[in-house]
Amino acid sequence: MNTLPQQLANGLFLGSMYGLIAIGYTMVYGIVQLINFAHGEIFMTGGFGALTVWFALPSGTSMWVALPLMLIGGAVVAVLIATGAERFAYRPLRNAPRLAPLITAIGLSLALQEAVRNWYPKATDARVFPQIDAGPWHIGSISFSSGDLFVIIAAPLCMGALAGFVRSTRTGRAMQATAQDPDTAQLMGIDTNRVIVIAFAIGGLFAAVASVAYGLRYGQIKYDMGFQAGLKAFTAAVLGGIGNIYGAMLGGLVLGVAEALASAYIANIPGMEQFGGGGWTSVWAFVLLILVLLLRPQGLLGERVADRA
Amino acid sequence: MTDTIKDTTPAPTVSAAGLIPLPENIARALTVGGGLLTCVGAFLAWTWTSEFPGDLTYYGSPAGLQWLAFTAGLLTVLFALAGYGIKGLGWLTPAGGTTAPIVLSAFAGLGVTWFSLISIATELGGVANWVVGGVLAGLFSAVPVIGALALPKPGPATVRGKDSLKATLAAYVAKPERTKPTAILPGWQQRGIIAVVIGLGLLVFTYGIDTEGGELFSGFLIVTLLGAWALHSSGLLDRFSAISAGNRSYAMTLAFVAAAVFPFTQNNDHDANVGVNILIFGTVALGLNIVVGLTGLLDLGYVAFLGVGAYAAALVSGSEYSTISGTTFPFWAAALTGAAASLIFGVLIGAPTLRLRGDYLAIVTLGFGEIFRIVVRNLDGSSGPDVTNGPNGIAAIPDLSIGSFNFGENHTFAGFTLGRFANYYLLMLIVTVVVVLVFNRASDSRIGRAWVAIREDETAATAMGINGFRVKLIAFALGASLAGLAGTVSAHVTNNVVPDPYVFAGPVAPNSAFLLAAVVLGGMGTVSGPLLGAALLYLIPEKLEFLQEYQLFAFGIALIILMRFRPEGVIANRRRQLEFHEAEEPTEPAAPAAPATAGV
Repeated sequence: MNTLPQQLANGLFLGSMYGLIAIGYTMVYGIVQLINFAHGEIFMTGGFGALTVWFALPSGTSMWVALPLMLIGGAVVAVLIATGAERFAYRPLRNAPRLAPLITAIGLSLALQEAVRNWYPKATDARVFPQIDAGPWHIGSISFSSGDLFVIIAAPLCMGALAGFVRSTRTGRAMQATAQDPDTAQLMGIDTNRVIVIAFAIGGLFAAVASVAYGLRYGQIKYDMGFQAGLKAFTAAVLGGIGNIYGAMLGGLVLGVAEALASAYIANIPGMEQFGGGGWTSVWAFVLLILVLLLRPQGLLGERVADRA
Repeated sequence: MTDTIKDTTPAPTVSAAGLIPLPENIARALTVGGGLLTCVGAFLAWTWTSEFPGDLTYYGSPAGLQWLAFTAGLLTVLFALAGYGIKGLGWLTPAGGTTAPIVLSAFAGLGVTWFSLISIATELGGVANWVVGGVLAGLFSAVPVIGALALPKPGPATVRGKDSLKATLAAYVAKPERTKPTAILPGWQQRGIIAVVIGLGLLVFTYGIDTEGGELFSGFLIVTLLGAWALHSSGLLDRFSAISAGNRSYAMTLAFVAAAVFPFTQNNDHDANVGVNILIFGTVALGLNIVVGLTGLLDLGYVAFLGVGAYAAALVSGSEYSTISGTTFPFWAAALTGAAASLIFGVLIGAPTLRLRGDYLAIVTLGFGEIFRIVVRNLDGSSGPDVTNGPNGIAAIPDLSIGSFNFGENHTFAGFTLGRFANYYLLMLIVTVVVVLVFNRASDSRIGRAWVAIREDETAATAMGINGFRVKLIAFALGASLAGLAGTVSAHVTNNVVPDPYVFAGPVAPNSAFLLAAVVLGGMGTVSGPLLGAALLYLIPEKLEFLQEYQLFAFGIALIILMRFRPEGVIANRRRQLEFHEAEEPTEPAAPAAPATAGV
């Protein structure tokens, strides 16, 4: 099972999920130059929104019926929280010193996490997420579960839809304009507030899809899952070039593959025998982030100058 | 003095009538009389059984909560008498108006009395447990509030009925804009005032730490917070900071002496433990303040540097669980090791990130905080090299001994016994003083000015010839090594180091979210702010246990609300305050404000 193709496939499954979350970071950053720390928690609330829908459905509902409804439920929750955060927490601070929205974001992230832990029923421990009763399947030496299948289908679909939206709709072009120069865009008659809200909403939507993928892959969701996932997704966004939506997806895939390969093969490097395995993957992802910042801070696809003051 | 008081008392006009329609002379009489009645109410029995914590059952002998009500009543009487313009009390209200302090101290009395009555009713089951004295005290405490709200509305006169209730209430508690010209006191009087105020501060702080039970501590918070607000609105706090700014080294020395006296006032070591924890977290928050408050860099993994220092000190402490157990460094060497280890990690993390925008630093430090914990857990010999014993940590760290003074034993000085935590408290106090000195000297130096310049506008600062990257790296590394220094002491205080406390957000105090909240709540860029913030944030969940579950939630909400409404924190750094409110400044020049400064 531990073959190279299998590891590459695992990396792609994981990376697609990171990429979906990273879109949220990169869209918001591209337009308002804000790192939305709370995005990891928006991802987490999406998962709990989907789980709530599952509990509301009559027991024994087929997953094929439930899954679309859960996606909608998760998306509604995540989008509401993301846009609500923009409207009530970030917007009043848009002209404040840079530190203010960052601290607000970290406060929001704490508050969301703790709210779920304290008030979602039995959420102090991990909650079991419903599974699709199918698979695993095998293609050659690669085996994959239904959760893997879900994310490998959902991620390209979402990405394609987003690319089409940004490139060819009026709102999408308004987003590009706002990202380039918000003041000029506003002078040209673009409602920049609306554009910003839409960027947050798309981030929330994609995060909800990612959280359902997470639940299906790992079989459980937890109140603090957004913390690590958010860090990884941010790493992915930086890796691909923050502000660039294709970069976010690419960065996610690269990070996912790098993690999978690191956990499988780093132990084979002479002198590194003890640093392989699952316990160290997060460390390698972090080392990768530091290396990228050191060597190519604009990211793989980034055109944006990273140290714009 | 009497002349100036006449000047500042607003002439009663019809439009400035009070919220409650009563003639002004009756209102004033009510405030004085009501304040006295509140004091009298404290001497009544509020309930019949000693089952309610604090035993409020005696006539003529106030206890706990009743003393707090008495204090609030006394404060009301003083301010109300000053409101009459009585000669010799003018110094109580250097800011001019007397209404806001009266209103606030009257509310402090009302708040603590009714808080006590309501907790009596809920804990003992029903209002029948308020005996006659309790009911009377409750009524008495309402009298000064009625009187205070019947005073003429301070501030600019507006046509009645046009103000919303919110705006009216805000006018009642607002600090007057103008300040009275104040006489410059002779030096010995200034120093006397500083001594008295610091003594009072020690008394209040000690009382707060010693309070038993959540009810008393809640009452303490009500009276202290509203009382401090009343003092602030009277202008006394500004006056005091002006006086102590003129005698800075004297005031600092006295504050240090007062802090050193604290363990001698404690007769059990648990309170000294609370004290030492407050000092550790306050000191670490102060180190974080260099990074966040002075330089404007958001460090979200600060607690990891504390952890690096703690682990470094534990490894060289001579503990038998240390992986280099043969090595025992003397304390000064261990402290340097801890600080140096944190410094190295600070540079390793800072160097790649600080060349980029500040946002990157925030998320990289957040990641570093998480990675630190993971690495420390992994370095246990089975999933990685054996350095830190993984989740078990390094236990049995021996107590420090400097010369023949062993910190683990009780020592008796002049009849006072100092326990283990009291010893460490004194040691930590020295570390705190070092950090305060570093903070003050650094912020006044060329580098400190460069930090502030970078915080305000990095592009402009760079254009002025400041090497932004180098200056930021110095701030970041200095902050890291100060945390490492505090970590070395904290490792010995707790006797062991384990990975779990060093997280971004956790149920126990030294986590990065706690430290950030302490800095932001207290006031970014000030010395006393983070110390106060850490003391409040540590004491409140410690005393009010039911809040512990929700403290992180409360931190989060508090950060959001503070950033929205008071980003400069409780103790505001003047420059910082202006910076945060730049966008709200009116565009026309505020010319009329200038003459007010002429008398100062």
